[in-house]
Amino acid sequence: MGILSAQRVTKEFLPGSGHGLVAVHDLSLEVVEGEFLCLIGASGCGKSTLLNMFAGFIQPTLGQVRLRGEPITRIEPRCGMVFQSYALFPWKTVRGNVEFGPKMKGLSAADRHRIADRFIELVKLRGFEDRYPTELSGGMQQRVTFARVLAADPEVLLMDEPFAALDALTRQVMQEELLQIHERARKTTVFITHNIDEALILADRIVVMSARPGRVKTMVANTLPRPRRVSIQLSSEFAALKSEIWAHVEEEVRKHVAPVA
Amino acid sequence: MSVPASGASDSGSISAKRRGRVGWLRVRLSLLLQVLSVCAFLALWSAATEYGWVSTIFLPSPRAVATEAGKLVGTGELWQAIIASSRRVFLGFALAAVVAVPLGVVMGVWWPAKAIMDPFVSLLRPLPSITWIPLSILWLGIGESQKTAIVFMGSWIYILLYTLESTKRVDPLLIRAARNLGASDVAVMREVILPGALPGILSGLKVTLAISWSCVISAEMVAAQTGLGAIIWYGKDWGNLALVLVGMVGISVTVLVADVIAERIERALLPWERHRRG
Repeated sequence: MGILSAQRVTKEFLPGSGHGLVAVHDLSLEVVEGEFLCLIGASGCGKSTLLNMFAGFIQPTLGQVRLRGEPITRIEPRCGMVFQSYALFPWKTVRGNVEFGPKMKGLSAADRHRIADRFIELVKLRGFEDRYPTELSGGMQQRVTFARVLAADPEVLLMDEPFAALDALTRQVMQEELLQIHERARKTTVFITHNIDEALILADRIVVMSARPGRVKTMVANTLPRPRRVSIQLSSEFAALKSEIWAHVEEEVRKHVAPVA
Repeated sequence: MSVPASGASDSGSISAKRRGRVGWLRVRLSLLLQVLSVCAFLALWSAATEYGWVSTIFLPSPRAVATEAGKLVGTGELWQAIIASSRRVFLGFALAAVVAVPLGVVMGVWWPAKAIMDPFVSLLRPLPSITWIPLSILWLGIGESQKTAIVFMGSWIYILLYTLESTKRVDPLLIRAARNLGASDVAVMREVILPGALPGILSGLKVTLAISWSCVISAEMVAAQTGLGAIIWYGKDWGNLALVLVGMVGISVTVLVADVIAERIERALLPWERHRRG
């Protein structure tokens, strides 16, 4: 039994209005405790919709999403979200942002401070504690969001293309750091991307989604050994897995780019 | 904001330095031009009145205005007037802020409050504050409380509208993020909505402060023995145009000083906007 699951979930936006949009259709998925799961698919395949349902930001039209067997019916702090656009509080310093989750739990100032120190250290932002987010580069802001969500200690991490706004080089560095963080913390993670390389570097399991309406097209177990480094991209095993996944993805991307009339 | 962590930042700081130097030069030049333009204006004004191009009945000379101002400073009347007006503005404005900021926030987050208030806001907003003068004199007499009431009536709606707008504009993604991190309703209000709306509320207060000043002056011109508005009206009644101009300059300078103070307070309250303003 998975920690997080979607059971025959359908999400339709503007249902009954005549121009409704089915973002996700009859999708079922189980996320196993401790695994790093990547959802991959063309844009508009309902990946973000599914993630937003796991976080409780939106409710499925049909079916259920469950955390440890209980239906998720409201915003669920046990599923911590890392937003693509960071969503840092601009009026709080790095420390203030990272302390937010512990503060909401009612922890004492001393405990908050200690926890924040630990995660600021983990994401290598020591010395930047008193900076405001707008004073940091994009990569550094994304590190703050990691520290903030980890300090809140959710049971599941949800990540919606967290590196999409970064340049290619910073992205690689951040992937490697996320690998290290995951291999140390082993926290269940659902990660959205449309980058096959990124999925292969990070994931234990890769779910390929079909074009709209979103369904699970296939699942690929990532057999690349851990602990991994970004340099694993140069191995022949990586290339083989990449072409296998590409074969699944390509068909969906073509459907999306040139829909059959 | 997708600046890479390192590498590009080095070349960025060099060009920033160069831009800084050019900017510094421009600030100096701009200051010089400002001083020159004021001097030129005063010279032209002096010439126009001294050489009789314009009759001093219509425009007193700068020297006459300065002499008049010197007299008023000497007797302490100018200070008294500035203090009297400032007190009225401060009281009315503070009262308006105390009422309108919380009301605006509530209207921003709770739609029934907005629905209840909207008709009154729509009806009251078009009324200039001087239209309240007859009623306020009837209800409150011509003392200090009447002046304060005029300032209040002229200010609170603007503060309310600025507050409402800034509250509604708080990024919903940040509210979502806060809830995802375990924030309760109260915590969302305290940690996200209020600080998120604060910059907008403060700039609304700054704009309204200038409006409050125009309210107090009009109230003083109608019925007051003290204050900068009273000086202007007194000067008009006695045909002392120099005194009128002293009052006008007095208002400008006082409001400018109030603006500088407001700016300082704003900067102190918004440390995270420091570098964005440069």
